[in-house]
Amino acid sequence: MNVDEGLVLRLADLSKLALPPERVERLRTDLVNILAMVEKLNELDLEGVEPLRYVTEVEQVLRPDRIGNHLDRNSALANAPDSDGEYFKVPRVI
Amino acid sequence: MSYETTIGLETHVQLATVSKAFCGDRNEFGAEPNRHISEVSLGYPGTLPFLNERQVEFAVRLGLALGSKINRRSTFDRKNYFYADLPKGYQITQDDRPICVGGALPIRTASQQYAAGAPTVRVQLHHIHMEEDAGKSIHAAGEAFSRVDLNRAGTPLLEVVTEPDLHSAEEVDAFMSGMRQLVRWLEISDGNMEEGSLRCDVNVSVRKQGQAELGTRCEIKNMNSMRFARRAIAYEVDRQIALLEKGESVMQQTRQFDPQSGTTSALREKENAHDYRYFPDPDLPPVVLTDAYVQTLRDTLGILPWEAYTELLALGLDPDDAALIGEEKHHYLSFVRYARASPAVPELAKLWVNRVLPFLQQRELGLEPEQFATLQTLIADGEVSAANAASRLLTDLLENPGDVRQRAVDLGLIQNTDTDFLKHIAREVIGANPDKANAYRKGKKGLIGFFMGEVMKKSGGSAEPKETQALLRGLLEETT
Repeated sequence: MNVDEGLVLRLADLSKLALPPERVERLRTDLVNILAMVEKLNELDLEGVEPLRYVTEVEQVLRPDRIGNHLDRNSALANAPDSDGEYFKVPRVI
Repeated sequence: MSYETTIGLETHVQLATVSKAFCGDRNEFGAEPNRHISEVSLGYPGTLPFLNERQVEFAVRLGLALGSKINRRSTFDRKNYFYADLPKGYQITQDDRPICVGGALPIRTASQQYAAGAPTVRVQLHHIHMEEDAGKSIHAAGEAFSRVDLNRAGTPLLEVVTEPDLHSAEEVDAFMSGMRQLVRWLEISDGNMEEGSLRCDVNVSVRKQGQAELGTRCEIKNMNSMRFARRAIAYEVDRQIALLEKGESVMQQTRQFDPQSGTTSALREKENAHDYRYFPDPDLPPVVLTDAYVQTLRDTLGILPWEAYTELLALGLDPDDAALIGEEKHHYLSFVRYARASPAVPELAKLWVNRVLPFLQQRELGLEPEQFATLQTLIADGEVSAANAASRLLTDLLENPGDVRQRAVDLGLIQNTDTDFLKHIAREVIGANPDKANAYRKGKKGLIGFFMGEVMKKSGGSAEPKETQALLRGLLEETT
């Protein structure tokens, strides 16, 4: 996979990260190294091996459909940078 | 050059669970802002999602109804994007292995509905997956900020994804109506489009007739009104054809519909799937279903809407009566109970559609199947006119259930078919109006209406009309 500056900037954009220009090259090198490490897997014959999605054998435990643990609105809004007492206020999105 | 339209739908069904998908916040539309929230739905660090068993059950029930394959092992993924009403920065969804695969929804378009016969078009499904809804953002005009309400954040959804298997706005309408009916029938959602319980993204493309591959598609987001969806599709089809006719090409885009102008406009160029950077959600282990679990849900599924419709047609109902009575499960079940006792099922259906269904909007039905059977027998025997039975007698009985025949007597609705009684009155009437009787005999046959009216008056409205008219004609001709 070709990891160039454009890809790094795109990933930063998707992750909403403001990257100082001097960090782009360092991150690019890190990404190249990480991918190279993962590339080692290609040396193995993985024909018929299912990708490992989970590192444990745990199965989903389901929750009964019941009400519980509401957070009080005032407490929730108190943690927000801005609110009007009812809604969270955020910088205008559209 | 003629073109063919191809449409695929992504339908979102908001589930009627008590609590949310991954936490115990109340799942309810229309509450005060930010009343149904918790650390989980607010995406606080260190919290974990805990899957609601109802969401799984509802997904399996919908899948079984639609004939999907139920994956015994399904998994959750994270769909990553940033938006103010998505506090975690990702939506929990099923990308890699959804809970249901394949299946089909039988649909009847409006033009088919009123023609005889069972549903014919089956819209093929790609899959059904479980996911969670985002919160709601409000962007008031002239304000420098947006408001966020997270009551809806984490509401359980099923997304039903069709194959590109629809070809007109009419079919889309039929599909959405069918889906609405089915989720209500299965009691997994209220199917309310206005409140957003049922909404769809519409993927539209056009291609020249005979062209093998599909054209480039555009996705119109978040249609929650069938009227708008029809207009949006019509506009989008015209727009794409116009582009192709000019020799230009359609760009793959996400578009939004503006009800004011009736047009669609580009929201963004379609991100390719990698932009969401899906990956397995490490917080949620695989959902494993046993065969016994699936079998139990299959055994308790009950009759399905299109089966009920077919059965109603087999009972002799008109297609439009069958569609109305078979729209909701409890109406269908109640009707067949009454139909079993009925001497004339299609006529019962007429009474049902015209009188009983409207009544059921307000009240419970207090009449038993046998009482309806008696009412129908009174009509069949000519004891009560069909018009009186449907209006005065039935209205009275619905309000105040009781003995049907006695009520007909009390209301003076029993028609007199006693020939001697009718003859007696008819003679009196003719005797009292010799001039008119003469005029009738000389050819003013229209006067029969006058004589009918007089007999009705004298009998207190009880004279059976057909019998009376025959008697009057006979007597008028013979008297000299």
